[in-house]
Amino acid sequence: MTKPIVEICELTKVFPTTEGDEKRAVDGISFSVEPGQIFGLLGPNGAGKTTTLRMISGLLTPTSGTMHLNGHDVRARRLEAKRSLGYLTASTGLYQRLTPRELLHYFGELIGLDKPAIKKRLEELVEWLDMASFVDLRCGGLSTGQKQRTNIARALMGDPPILVMDEPTLGLDVLTNRVVLDFIRAEGAKGKAIILSTHYLDEAEALCHQYGLIHEGRLVGRGDLAALQEKAGRRRLSEIFLALCGQDEHVLAGVPEGGSNRALGMEYPKEGGRS
Amino acid sequence: MRRYRRVWTVYRKELIESLRDRRTLMAMVLVPLVLYPVLMLVLVQALRSETGRQERQNYTIVVPNEAHRRWLESVWAREEEEREARKAEVEQLAKASDREVEDAMAALRTEIGAKQITIEVAEPGLSLWDLVSEQRYDVAVLAEPVPDHENFADHENLIVQILYSDTDPLSEVLFRQLNYILDHESLRIAKAKVTALSGNDNILSPLRVNNLSTTSPDRQLAKALALVVPFLLVTMTITGAIYPAIDLTAGERERGTLETLAVSPVPSGQIVAGKFGVIVTIAMVTTMLNLASMTAVLHFGGLGKLFAGRQPTAKSEALAVEAMISNQDSASSAVLQRQALLDNLNRRRGLEGEAEQRVGFVTTAAPIVLLAMVPFAVLFGGIMLAVCSFARTFKEAQNYMVPVMMSAIVPGLIVSYMPTIRLEGPMLVMPVANIVVLMRELFLGNFDLAAMSICLLSTCFYAAVAVIVAVRVYGNEAVLFSDVGNYKTLVLRKFIRPQAYPPAAFALLTVAVLFPLNFYAQSSLIKADAGPTQNLSVIAGTQLFLFAMPVIFLAWYMKLDFRRTFSLHVPGPFPIVGTLLVAASVAPVSNLLQRIQFHFFPLSDGALKLMEQQQEMLFGDPSLWLSLVVLALLPGICEEVLFRGFLLGGVRQRSSTFQAVLVVGLIFGLYHVDAAKVPVVSLMGMLLTFVCLRTGSIYPAVLIHIVNNGLGIASTKFPDLKSFFGLSEELVVQSRTIVFIMLFVIGLLFLMKRRGSSAP
Repeated sequence: MTKPIVEICELTKVFPTTEGDEKRAVDGISFSVEPGQIFGLLGPNGAGKTTTLRMISGLLTPTSGTMHLNGHDVRARRLEAKRSLGYLTASTGLYQRLTPRELLHYFGELIGLDKPAIKKRLEELVEWLDMASFVDLRCGGLSTGQKQRTNIARALMGDPPILVMDEPTLGLDVLTNRVVLDFIRAEGAKGKAIILSTHYLDEAEALCHQYGLIHEGRLVGRGDLAALQEKAGRRRLSEIFLALCGQDEHVLAGVPEGGSNRALGMEYPKEGGRS
Repeated sequence: MRRYRRVWTVYRKELIESLRDRRTLMAMVLVPLVLYPVLMLVLVQALRSETGRQERQNYTIVVPNEAHRRWLESVWAREEEEREARKAEVEQLAKASDREVEDAMAALRTEIGAKQITIEVAEPGLSLWDLVSEQRYDVAVLAEPVPDHENFADHENLIVQILYSDTDPLSEVLFRQLNYILDHESLRIAKAKVTALSGNDNILSPLRVNNLSTTSPDRQLAKALALVVPFLLVTMTITGAIYPAIDLTAGERERGTLETLAVSPVPSGQIVAGKFGVIVTIAMVTTMLNLASMTAVLHFGGLGKLFAGRQPTAKSEALAVEAMISNQDSASSAVLQRQALLDNLNRRRGLEGEAEQRVGFVTTAAPIVLLAMVPFAVLFGGIMLAVCSFARTFKEAQNYMVPVMMSAIVPGLIVSYMPTIRLEGPMLVMPVANIVVLMRELFLGNFDLAAMSICLLSTCFYAAVAVIVAVRVYGNEAVLFSDVGNYKTLVLRKFIRPQAYPPAAFALLTVAVLFPLNFYAQSSLIKADAGPTQNLSVIAGTQLFLFAMPVIFLAWYMKLDFRRTFSLHVPGPFPIVGTLLVAASVAPVSNLLQRIQFHFFPLSDGALKLMEQQQEMLFGDPSLWLSLVVLALLPGICEEVLFRGFLLGGVRQRSSTFQAVLVVGLIFGLYHVDAAKVPVVSLMGMLLTFVCLRTGSIYPAVLIHIVNNGLGIASTKFPDLKSFFGLSEELVVQSRTIVFIMLFVIGLLFLMKRRGSSAP
């Protein structure tokens, strides 16, 4: 086993609420990811996935717990930690009035690359993501797929060893979806550590090596598929999830195998993928 | 170095992006370049065409009988005759001076000729009043007794009544014209009678008043501009900055790019700095274009000419009159006098042309005005950035911008309507208003360096606080992600977590808010005629209620650690010795510095007098103890609680000792608004800050402060004390002064020797 590049230990985030009490959005989560591994953080909406990923990316300050990215403590050496991380969500926007080339150049400079390095990296990414046809058009006029490719290129600009992706395929069409999934797989194969959050379980099952099942701010299951199957005594991810959350009985009643479970906001579509 | 390169990167990108935004471009370029010429054209054209229309219009007058009609017609004829004569004179003058002379004002004055007037006799039995009020006629004229048009010059005490309607524009125009014409008629009759009696009509003008302004025409134009331009510029600057400010903050959040920026390895301070730079740049470019456009309109458009046409070349005229006075004995002849006046008239026309060219002066004032706009743009750039950072969407930000705009426009507007407000007193530090007044003073050519620097410094201070707040707001979690928390959690006490120190931005904001309040309190409540006791109580009040209480309350509200925030620690033995030495020697040293300053930059007599007056106001009290308590003990405690306690507690977490000493010292100096004292008081503030940081305790600073103030007061009563400490009013370095300086230095060395029991 290689040394983990991402180490999260007892991560907790407490938000005050207007009613005066506290909400523990994330409650003592620990996991680690090795280079080349794709770690799937799975759970329904509001489980704490986004909050966890935002803390890892340095966007939120945790209430307690430690995080190390590429050997840097996220709280003490925030900038170094951020430098070894690429961040992508389906909702991240682009600067409408810049072209992808200008945008990538901008983020390259923010990361601290020098001009020749930016140029080289830009050309690599344009070729790899097939962006040549639109790299000099304003982002405002790009199609969703072109936008998401630009976004991927932005996250990869500094060639970070760690990628954090929060619902990267949420609301994308089938074609764009495919681009993103291919990219995740390819980057994993290149040896990057990838943390992926999603509530599409089929996607996760096809991609991830390791899983963290999160429910109400806590990790209810962790490990590879085999370990989870063993722990829950079920075969498919959705069943495992429901079993581990203790929501087995009343939610499953009357729902056929492989159906969707709206109550938990988990989608597990039948053959043919989502529309 | 890298830091600045990143700020530059952010700046360049945001600027490019903003310049590609149509809305920004509109406000920045299109509005100023097109607005003023159009406004100008429309205004002049409207005026001219209105005059023209009035002159083309046909008017009806109703009179009670035929005699009235004939009389009125004859009056009109005589008026027209006079008009022709005047026109001929102007033409003659034009020929004589060999230039085209346009009677600019005449072009804007309505002159209704006899041709446009229809005078009808009312049908018997109809009331003139009704005819006018029903708008069948524009005006009714009726005279008592019935006028005689053949012997018009015999009228005496003829009562002429004009009935008109206020709400009917034609009626009003005609009514004014009639008034004007009848005045002339009255004068004509008087002139004719007087001439018949005494041979000339000089008796009618026993006094010929000629108003001559000693201000040159360009200055007069400047005065007119000074009332309007600053306000316009302030408004335009804000308008230019508003879109980039919203777009760079709330717009970025709304479009989801803020997250990508926040995950990049750049401190939020650098991002905000870059954005702030763009807002200020765009605001300044807008201002520049506005100013350029205004200048161009004045230069090429009709207004400058119009203005120049009105300026009397007062000086030559006045000199001619003076010459006439000195020749009084020989020149009693009216002929000579007339010639001189006509001569003057000619010269005036010639010089008017020159004045016209001098309108170009605006071009020379422009750079200075522009310079004065920089701090303003900086201030509002900061405020807008901070306010917009709170907004989650573009729309929300636009709503927030309304009060911000009002806060800039309303003071500007008020000040524009009060031409007598000068740059002095509270006006010096009144945000926004001081810039408007400053610009006006610049336009009028008044350069008071001390006042200007306070005005600019205070604006920069507000701006710096605004930017720091913007950085804090920008990095805040609840603001970064709309789903994370409610604003209530930022404000209500029950959500505030106990912390050791106030946040730096918050401490600065507090001081910035208290600053003008203190200023107003002091300058409005301390009056020369109020007597020392009342003035002292005002000072005691401000010390307690503005300096000490608010920050103590805030410290409680924010659940701060009082011991740490206010440095309530007992210093170690070395610092105690050092403190005592410094306290013993601080008064002579600061006195020496003050004398050095006054030696090289002597005070003007006015300032000196003011200072003496102030001393009289405060120290004239018979009770030394009261003065000591209010002017030494209270400031020593209250000012230290605010500056060395709350402010330093906030500032020192984020800055080096050097930075903290500099910032807190300068702010302390600024609070003592008297410009002449700012340098030495700032140094004093730096010393106190340094002592507090070194010893980790506020007590030494309190002691030194009290002793310094106390000795200054006590020495005014006890000459012995004054001579013992060498508190001379001249710049003389006595041997004892050198001893005190040495004591001071040794004291400082003691203080530097070891850190006190300061908490880390």
